Amino acid sequence: MKKVIGLMMSLVLLFGILAGCSNSESSGEAKGDKDVDLKVWSFTDELKKPITKFEEKNGVKIELTIVPIADYPTKLKPVLESGVGAPDVFTGEIAFLKQWVNAGYWENLSENPYNVNELADNYVPYVFDLGKDENGDVRALSWQTTPGGIYYKRSIAKEVLGTDDPDEIGEMLTSMDKVFEVSEKMKEKGYRMFPDEGSIRWFSQGDDPQAWVNEKDELKLTDQKIEFLDYAKKLREESYTALAPEWSPSWFEAMDKPIKVKENGDETETEVFSYVLPTWGLHSVLKTNVEDSVGDWAVTSGPSPYFWGGTWLGVYNKSENKELAYDFVKMMTQDDEFLTDWAKETGDVLSYLPVTNEIKGDFSDEFLGGQNNYQFFLEQAKSIEPGIVTKYDQQLDTFYGNAVQEYVDGKKSKDEAIAEFYKKAQNAYPELKVPKK
Amino acid sequence: MKNLNRYGYAFIAPFWIIFLIFNIYPVALTFYYSFTNYSGSGTAEVVGFANYQRLIADSYFVEAFFNTWKIWGVNFALQIVIALILAMIFSDARVKMKGLSFFRSIFYLPNLITVSSVALLFGILLDWQHGSLNMVLMNIGVISEPINWLNQPTTAQLSVSLILTWMWFGHSFIVVMAGVSGISTDFYEAALIDGANRWQTFTKITLPLLKPILLYIMITSLIGGLQLFDLPMLLTDGIGSPDGSLNTMVLYLYNQAFKYNNYGYAAAVAYGLFIITVIFSAIVFKSMYGNERKQARRV
Repeated sequence: MKKVIGLMMSLVLLFGILAGCSNSESSGEAKGDKDVDLKVWSFTDELKKPITKFEEKNGVKIELTIVPIADYPTKLKPVLESGVGAPDVFTGEIAFLKQWVNAGYWENLSENPYNVNELADNYVPYVFDLGKDENGDVRALSWQTTPGGIYYKRSIAKEVLGTDDPDEIGEMLTSMDKVFEVSEKMKEKGYRMFPDEGSIRWFSQGDDPQAWVNEKDELKLTDQKIEFLDYAKKLREESYTALAPEWSPSWFEAMDKPIKVKENGDETETEVFSYVLPTWGLHSVLKTNVEDSVGDWAVTSGPSPYFWGGTWLGVYNKSENKELAYDFVKMMTQDDEFLTDWAKETGDVLSYLPVTNEIKGDFSDEFLGGQNNYQFFLEQAKSIEPGIVTKYDQQLDTFYGNAVQEYVDGKKSKDEAIAEFYKKAQNAYPELKVPKK
Repeated sequence: MKNLNRYGYAFIAPFWIIFLIFNIYPVALTFYYSFTNYSGSGTAEVVGFANYQRLIADSYFVEAFFNTWKIWGVNFALQIVIALILAMIFSDARVKMKGLSFFRSIFYLPNLITVSSVALLFGILLDWQHGSLNMVLMNIGVISEPINWLNQPTTAQLSVSLILTWMWFGHSFIVVMAGVSGISTDFYEAALIDGANRWQTFTKITLPLLKPILLYIMITSLIGGLQLFDLPMLLTDGIGSPDGSLNTMVLYLYNQAFKYNNYGYAAAVAYGLFIITVIFSAIVFKSMYGNERKQARRV
């Protein structure tokens, strides 16, 4: 009898412990998550307002974790790999988007119950395509499109080129040769066409846009890209730039004020005519750094269309709350009402056509002297080639930018610069087939 | 009695558990990864010694090795010379310098600034077109053309060395001062009576007696210096520009792992770096203490 009681006692105890365990486990999780229904990770505070709206609308609580872009991939990766403390929704920047759509962290949105392929026609084609993985399944969506243009100062355009009309200026910049013609005119009047040589890199694709790496893992350096070396060098040699490297203090300063340029033993004061920047460049670069010349700007097209940056978002495939997670993605990318407000509030150029078609007619930006930049950018977005983004782009662009810089500075010959580029590419990505030169 | 011994283990257990999880485990895991082609996600495939073979033949790693040495070497030489001169001045019985603690804090201050702020500050000071340094030099007529400090290999490396010197000479100075104040004044008094001049006092008394301190500074600085990463990373584009002259070993490791996703190879680089550090620490130690032991035996 004693034995039985003893056994029962210990069994009760055991169950108690087990129950306690499972209890504390679930309650522990619930406690941590009780006030949070959804976790979102991103690298900017852009989503703060949308999240507040979503919370109000659905009566849920969302926790937003912002990790600065430099650490974002390194912080997010281990979390996604292990699934511990992972977000339900996370954003991805263009720089690592291709890697992530193929890594399988994002839920396949082409499948049931999402079936986003049905919505394909509602999006700017290149934006929708970039969210696809190797098998053509959509993993991430984006609410925005980020085509680029050339922002220039109207007053200088009027003085030098006789007009400040964006269409007419655009006509004068349809090829690199024409860009140099305008640059020469600028120089004659004491202005500089661009802040630095890197400005024209977005046009280096020329009329033959090709991916850095093709399907056979071969690294391709097109003739257009090689020609770009000479263009950059010409900009320097002809003094068409203000020697103000991108993101440097002088680069920002030259937006609003005349700056001093020291070269060949002389110091001259000059003004920069134009900046090559995308949609977001207007709101987060120009507007935040310009005071005096507000309203004196306009945007037009360069020799070839390009896009720069962009944020995509998707649902983590191990999320326990996929439904709500996708609801949030849906609001960000498909909700007419929300997106209309969002666009009007921020001026962000959207990729969701049902909304943009509604609103694009009556946009005008004070900063750009009343120009409808919205319509302009949507036109640009149409002509962007989607298939040329690879997961190697960010690093290869950096390597090639270095090669160009060294050639422009006269430190390396053209062949040496290209050989060094190949060597660096091979070193970083041993799997690539690099031309032997 | 025997039982009591167990409590000892219990008391050191917290340290060991944390040490095993956060130190030994990653070190062992890195060692394993160095034999794989792990790319940061997915599975790792064992590839044998391929990563190490690549490491030995990798011209970028060799370049990084020499860059690191050049940058560290110039910085260390300057740093120790400045620290010694300052220590001589402050410890000289005849000069009687005042305000030691004031200067000590002033000299140490640069070390308290975070490296990212330092990099930002010097990035602006050394700017090609609008940097203060170029403006000053041009105004007093030393140069006629602005120098693009961070765009030429030699000046870029020199800049990093000098920034490091500026950051660390105060630290070395404090340690050297501690060593100097530990030397008995009897020696100096005796030297004074014997008619030794300052240079003789310094080379015959101060320097030999400071040897252990100097060795300590050198080894810690060497280990820190071989891990040089933050300044080169932040001053230019983060991949060692200009011309790969700021490509240091740890920067190379970082880029291989987190930028190019070659985690396996980066692990091999880490072990290469470890072996190099061990070898050079041993050499420094031997060269400073080896002779003494021989002499001691002879006596």
